[in-house]
Amino acid sequence: MAKEKFILVKTYCSHTQIEEGFMKTLHEYGLVTFEEKENDYFMNPSDITKIERMFRLHTELGINMEGLDALNNLLKRLLEMEKEVSILRGRLNLYE
Amino acid sequence: MDFIDYYKVLELSKNASEAEIKKAYRKLARKFHPDLNPNDPKAQQKFQQINEANEVLIDPEKRKKYDQYGKDWKQAGAYQANQQQQSGGFGGRQSYSTGQGFDESQFSDFFESMFGGGGFSGQRRASPQFKGQDINATLQLNLTDILKAEKQMISLGNKKIRVTIPAGVEDGQVLKIKGYGGEGSNGGPKGDLYITFNIFNNTRFKRMETDLFITEKIDLYTALLGGEITVETLDGKVKLNVKPETQNDTKVKLKGKGLPKYKKENQFGDLIVTYKIELPKNLSEKEKELFTQLSKMR
Repeated sequence: MAKEKFILVKTYCSHTQIEEGFMKTLHEYGLVTFEEKENDYFMNPSDITKIERMFRLHTELGINMEGLDALNNLLKRLLEMEKEVSILRGRLNLYE
Repeated sequence: MDFIDYYKVLELSKNASEAEIKKAYRKLARKFHPDLNPNDPKAQQKFQQINEANEVLIDPEKRKKYDQYGKDWKQAGAYQANQQQQSGGFGGRQSYSTGQGFDESQFSDFFESMFGGGGFSGQRRASPQFKGQDINATLQLNLTDILKAEKQMISLGNKKIRVTIPAGVEDGQVLKIKGYGGEGSNGGPKGDLYITFNIFNNTRFKRMETDLFITEKIDLYTALLGGEITVETLDGKVKLNVKPETQNDTKVKLKGKGLPKYKKENQFGDLIVTYKIELPKNLSEKEKELFTQLSKMR
């Protein structure tokens, strides 16, 4: 693991004041994957947007871990479908 | 800021209880939360209104003022504050024209607390450090503007930024510009700017990703006997040899005459020309006679 490319979860939590417990739960539910090394957890910076989104949904809308998992999947599908619609619109345009 | 009917926003009657306000807020927040409505500026705007309505109606003092003064509730609050200040010994020479002495910061902080920072705070939490709010902007370009990378000035309120638009951007494509969003809260990093491109096709071509399509009419004789036609491309006109006995709807590919490929230097799509054969009209007697002779030869 290229350690320098990862962020120590503790450091991230101290900067954002997101509880470590919340991060641990995300990891346990498989909503985000952390690397473990010498009893420390490291996170991939590319997961920050996803983590912050889940934190907002959890704190602001009271969505639990199962709900977050379902929403992640639905959002992924939504974005894929939006992309597909855009491609299909382009194709349809050829016949208009 | 225009007056907003907060009760209408939360779909409530004027005598709604605190519990009803909370319930309506939670229900609508779940529906319009920006994280659940990506790429939907209307939902984001609605969510801001819902938050604003909730902040006012859930606070008994603010709600009272809002109920009493309606759209002028902020000014009314200011007036009251001034009245209190006056009776407290500062009176006499102070003027009380609308808005003067009004503690603007009280409300701007109030709105900032709702909309600033990375969190769309419906509930309060212990001031975490968050990335600033992302800003979405739309930029309209002509198809002919994306043939090569171009620098454009974009106005974001008072701020102007210079953006290089890569050649070949797609309609609806989103470009992320890091650090040009809202200020972070509690020392958090700035948000990002997301520019969505609306590409207006100002040409005769139809576009499918990097390929362009055009229909060219050719006359019957050119189709049958072959010949030369001139076809328009994005970088000027080119001559095309039409083969003898060309059929209707024949497609000819002009390699590399399409749009530039996004972030792939010197790579272009193709231009596909479809031939539509035009039959002659208003035939003379002589022409009819000759066509009859031709038909008898087959």
